[in-house]
Amino acid sequence: MLNPTRNRYRNEPAFDEVVAAHPDFPRLIALKIDVQRRGVLYTESAFRAVDPERHQLYTWGGVHYPHSLLLRDGTTVLANPQPEERDPYRVEYTEGRFVLVDEGEIIEEVEIWPRPRYYDKKTSSGLLMKEVVSARPQRLDIFASAFCHFAHAEDNGCKFCPLPAHHRQLRETYDLPTRLRAHDVKECIAEALKEPGRFTNIHITGGSVVKGKEILDAELSYYIDLLKHIGELFSTPRFPSQLLATAYNEKQLARLREETGLGSFTADIEVLNEEKFNWICPGKAHWIGYREWKRRLVDAVGVFGRGNVGTGIVGGVETAPPHGFTSESDALEATLSEAEDLAEKGVTTVHTVWVPQKGSEFHELKAPSLDYFIRLAKGLQGLRVKHGLSVDFDDYRRCGNHPDSDLARLQ
Amino acid sequence: MSHVLNADVIALLEHPDTVRILATVDGQGVPHAVVKKSIHLGDDGNIHYLELLETSATNRNMVRSIWFDGTVAITLANPDGRSAQIKGRPVKAHITGPLFLHHYNRLKDIDADAELAAVWIIEPRLALDQTFAARRDAERASHPHFAHLDRLRR
Ligand code: SF4
Repeated sequence: MLNPTRNRYRNEPAFDEVVAAHPDFPRLIALKIDVQRRGVLYTESAFRAVDPERHQLYTWGGVHYPHSLLLRDGTTVLANPQPEERDPYRVEYTEGRFVLVDEGEIIEEVEIWPRPRYYDKKTSSGLLMKEVVSARPQRLDIFASAFCHFAHAEDNGCKFCPLPAHHRQLRETYDLPTRLRAHDVKECIAEALKEPGRFTNIHITGGSVVKGKEILDAELSYYIDLLKHIGELFSTPRFPSQLLATAYNEKQLARLREETGLGSFTADIEVLNEEKFNWICPGKAHWIGYREWKRRLVDAVGVFGRGNVGTGIVGGVETAPPHGFTSESDALEATLSEAEDLAEKGVTTVHTVWVPQKGSEFHELKAPSLDYFIRLAKGLQGLRVKHGLSVDFDDYRRCGNHPDSDLARLQ
Repeated sequence: MSHVLNADVIALLEHPDTVRILATVDGQGVPHAVVKKSIHLGDDGNIHYLELLETSATNRNMVRSIWFDGTVAITLANPDGRSAQIKGRPVKAHITGPLFLHHYNRLKDIDADAELAAVWIIEPRLALDQTFAARRDAERASHPHFAHLDRLRR
């Protein structure tokens, strides 16, 4: 039976019913999607049991939240706290373990991400390392720049994106520079690498910067400098890493490959339909354009090689009203057919679960159904299998935020 | 502690000379059985083993088992003739955290080149004494018709 809150917020079939309709889809990955979609509410018992010595926490609005969750199969769940009225899953602590609870029933045991050792250290410039380089269960995350030209300079940011607002707040709270300094980042990573077995990938991203002799040259030069600094920490010419940047032209991509030890390149197209892209990502559409973005992804395959180039979409945002697809099946068909066009050319597509978030233009909207996300995840992974594409640089462990690439564990 | 594993099976698991074989099944039902030296009894009473290769057939099959409630089998065989089989369910894969890091560090001391993909936890559901004499006695007791007559001759 649906609870009254859920009836008000979402009128949809129960989780078990949806999962039963997809017997070939892992229940744990469906749960990950649903937890991301609905968010979590940490109860008093959970807050009391959280241990800052062992668990990875972040502070938001004066509250220390667990960074996020791990399922028992090693699946990462990046879920945002949501208020009661949005019908989130509850995280409770009972009988010595954290559990996900829905409608009063324990659904699964979960773990809070473990805290890395470097978290409380400071850089020589006095910055708290965890604010410079954050951690996922096995990945180091560098949000290099809070500034996004599309969002900040032109008010033309992607309509689902809360990052510029979020990062502005973070930077102000912690007095961080707008753009991280390469030597600060290098010091943090050097410290993180002292913990054996903890990390398998370095992920770098930031807002778009169009400045330069050719557009994006300034963004590119910044990342090259950063990657060179990081590269000094490794004995191998290449190191497992992912740059999630704006789509560069071929010449810029070649520079990136030749001058750094970067392992993989990703440029998120966000929406796999030209018309919806133009509406949802006006800045990207204006400065690069949908078709050119796709072309540049294919160029990146020529530079970085098959299996080392990806693009991300914000799964479900293509259904956003008023201009998104009105039918989920149309949305799915359009998305998968464009993803297949890219897969044929060696570009792999991964999706995140769209969660309308505060700070974004779309924050009052609702994400599509669980059924839609299951079909999307299956569809994208199916394309990788069909076209013999791997997604090692962005899988359940290197990233953990894409239900479709979680499925690659069976590929 | 697991009630499924009796003292004999635990002794076998703890004996250094015991050969340990893990059998899993792939998506087409094809079995895959390999020696896994690291199979041991964990502090929680479950069977633990270290998976060193992320994309090994066993690791993929283990993921499939934890996702779709599949069962795996572990054969223990000691050169002294003792043997047992444990059927169990993968219930957890540690890919980070204290247990993972403990084994990662231990492994590095043994083989500096070794990688660790996961520490798998298998909950035993059934343990069978596979020592031949014991199996034969059980067979005779439960299926008295299955015998060559010459063996029963006066
Ligand atoms: S998603 Fe769009 S708006 Fe947000 S940081 Fe990236 S380019 Fe800027």
